Amino acid sequence: MNELISAAAQLAWPLALVVSWMAGELAHRWTGVPRISIYGLAGFLAGNLALEVQGPIDHSPYLLFASLAFGLVLFELGYRINLRWLRANPWILATSLLESGLSFIAVYLASTWFGAPPISCGLLGALAMATSPAGLVRVLNEQGAGGQVSERAMHLAALNCVAAVFVFNLIVGVKVFQTSGDLLHAAGSSLLVLAVSGLLGAIAGTLVPLWLRSVGGKDATLTFALAVLLVVAATHVLKLSPVLAALCFGLAARHRRSALGVTQRNFGALGDILSVLLFVFAASTLTWQNAKEGMVLGLLVVLVRMVVKVGVCAALARPSGISVRKGALSGLALAPVAVFTVLMIEQTRRLGVEFNYSLAPLTAMALVLQVVGPIITQRALVWANEAHQHKEV
Amino acid sequence: MTLGPFATSESLTMGVELELQLVSLSDFDLVPASPDMLDLLARAPFPGNVTPEITQSMIEINSSVHSGHEGLVAQLREIRDTLLAAGDRLNVGVCGGGTHAFQQWSDRRIFSKPRFQEVSQLYGYLAKQFTVFGQHVHIGCRSGDEAMYLLHALNRYVPHFIALSGSSPFLQGSDTSFQSARLNSVFAFPLSGRAPFLLSWNAFAEDYFERMAGTGIVKSMKDFYWDLRPKPEYGTIELRVCDTPLSVERAAALACYLQALCRYLLAGNEPAPREDDYLVYNYNRFQACRFGLDGTLVHPQRHEQMVLRDDILATLKRLEPDFEALGSTAALAQLRRDIEMGSDADYLRRAWREGGSREAVVDAALERFRQPEPALV
Repeated sequence: MNELISAAAQLAWPLALVVSWMAGELAHRWTGVPRISIYGLAGFLAGNLALEVQGPIDHSPYLLFASLAFGLVLFELGYRINLRWLRANPWILATSLLESGLSFIAVYLASTWFGAPPISCGLLGALAMATSPAGLVRVLNEQGAGGQVSERAMHLAALNCVAAVFVFNLIVGVKVFQTSGDLLHAAGSSLLVLAVSGLLGAIAGTLVPLWLRSVGGKDATLTFALAVLLVVAATHVLKLSPVLAALCFGLAARHRRSALGVTQRNFGALGDILSVLLFVFAASTLTWQNAKEGMVLGLLVVLVRMVVKVGVCAALARPSGISVRKGALSGLALAPVAVFTVLMIEQTRRLGVEFNYSLAPLTAMALVLQVVGPIITQRALVWANEAHQHKEV
Repeated sequence: MTLGPFATSESLTMGVELELQLVSLSDFDLVPASPDMLDLLARAPFPGNVTPEITQSMIEINSSVHSGHEGLVAQLREIRDTLLAAGDRLNVGVCGGGTHAFQQWSDRRIFSKPRFQEVSQLYGYLAKQFTVFGQHVHIGCRSGDEAMYLLHALNRYVPHFIALSGSSPFLQGSDTSFQSARLNSVFAFPLSGRAPFLLSWNAFAEDYFERMAGTGIVKSMKDFYWDLRPKPEYGTIELRVCDTPLSVERAAALACYLQALCRYLLAGNEPAPREDDYLVYNYNRFQACRFGLDGTLVHPQRHEQMVLRDDILATLKRLEPDFEALGSTAALAQLRRDIEMGSDADYLRRAWREGGSREAVVDAALERFRQPEPALV
């Protein structure tokens, strides 16, 4: 009997992945919902089912794969960012600072009003600043989207992720310092991490294009994918921020103008398979128990966050060169946050930091936006007439 | 179905249309940005005119009617600066060049407008691989007969314009070895090529156009993709073989070259065109597309071989009085210098070699559009 359970347990993950993928394909074909919403839903069900049967699960073997998948997305996002735009149109940077800053403040105030402890309010606020690049980029690519809403959503997401990691690490640093008194540990989670992570990415972004130029090879996809794997693994070992490293890698590679062809968006089949794993994994860590407990505060955070993002983007739309409507839609497209949240939580846990109170509302927020976030982004693109399949003949 | 009457224009006036690329400044691929660009441009008056083109990553501008080089180049520069300013706010780059170096035709999106959708339905992949960018030059004619005369008298000079404007060496990520690969995309259409050899407007409108319309194949002049075609509504002939050059200065100089040539031909300086002139037409055109200024032409009447570059330089020499009379000596100087500097296609190939990536080619095109070659000394 025990053998049977153990065999079932070994098959559980591959089976969950395949079933999630199939469900995603079918649901996308029938209703047009983003595949990743379905992966999230399936992962959540599978994770909780396994919890019932098996008890608590050790996620760490999957964490590296998930981080790699996330790293590929971040690299791609960095590769599609044009820093010069921020200088040419300062309103973009203004929009970013205002939307991420106000997201933090509004969520902090809302959760304080709700009665959450200050540290938890800070963590909630920090994570609410971000837009999950995974959710955004997958939906953009799925829709073949292009236009101002897509372009702005990408740039705002890259910026607010950096801001979120910054604030999050700051708060974790404070928290660790308060609870354990381990100065080294606190320092490890502090600003230095950001600088070193960014530097690591920048070095990779300089070296890899050099390799590509001298050795060549037609397909740069594999080279970059392997390099991302190495960078992400290095951040794991060195306890750095994979988010920042992968993003800076993409940014640096882009500004060296090395060729990552448009045909290899998403990193091809490799990126596709890893993204199934990423979204299923991320959702499987969310327990129903936590989600239920934190649902009210979680929903409040989701609501406040969306109102701020849509409001700021709409308010600054005209001076930044687009219509108020498109501005609002670009704010709406910033909805996804789940995978970013989950990975930040899991990576921080590896450092021995527990979330206590804030885990429940964060789980609720992640669960809601894991499923709904991509759908909101997709709607925003369709309403903005930027979705490919919408206008294809 | 009949063609309307040929509207008369002031002789030798000119107008320029440029199809321009909209490129994402993030990844240098074409970007479906024309709705956002048009939206932003609509906030202020535009110098000249700007319209959507068949795919959303293309925008078309046209100048007003001009009689000399100075006014034309000034307006084209103003248009360029307006476009660049709008593009900068939207992270959209604007550039010339007959093709985009690495866009994939299957990614292109057709602008939602009934005529474009119909064309797309009829031509299938041809419509999408038609994401190519050309310059059209209109020259005003006093009558339909004058238009038909010019249209055929110009046949021997068509390769000049192909060679001078060639800026499409790359297609879908590969070097085509052509100077103008764009024209190969145009030739794929069934109604491309040259106009029938008819020298009177009545013969063209009644004998040819009405009979063609009677077959149901064509509805208007727009259905012909000829290298040169009459445009009766404007009272012009329209030269359509040029790739969009990488700078508006080259575009203006090309228009002035055509204008000067027309002046020269109208003065009766050459023997009248014959139908047999077209025996060498397709071959000469191929030479110009493939080799540009280094191509070899066969003279349609004397049947002697000559290098395109030499033929253009000799023609420019002959046209000196015409350039002068039209007040376009600056255009003449520009053309001579362009020939010396090499074609836009050469410039893009150099960018490929030096930059080492397809993105570098697009970046070089963006730079050339923004900052043309240093001014003449």
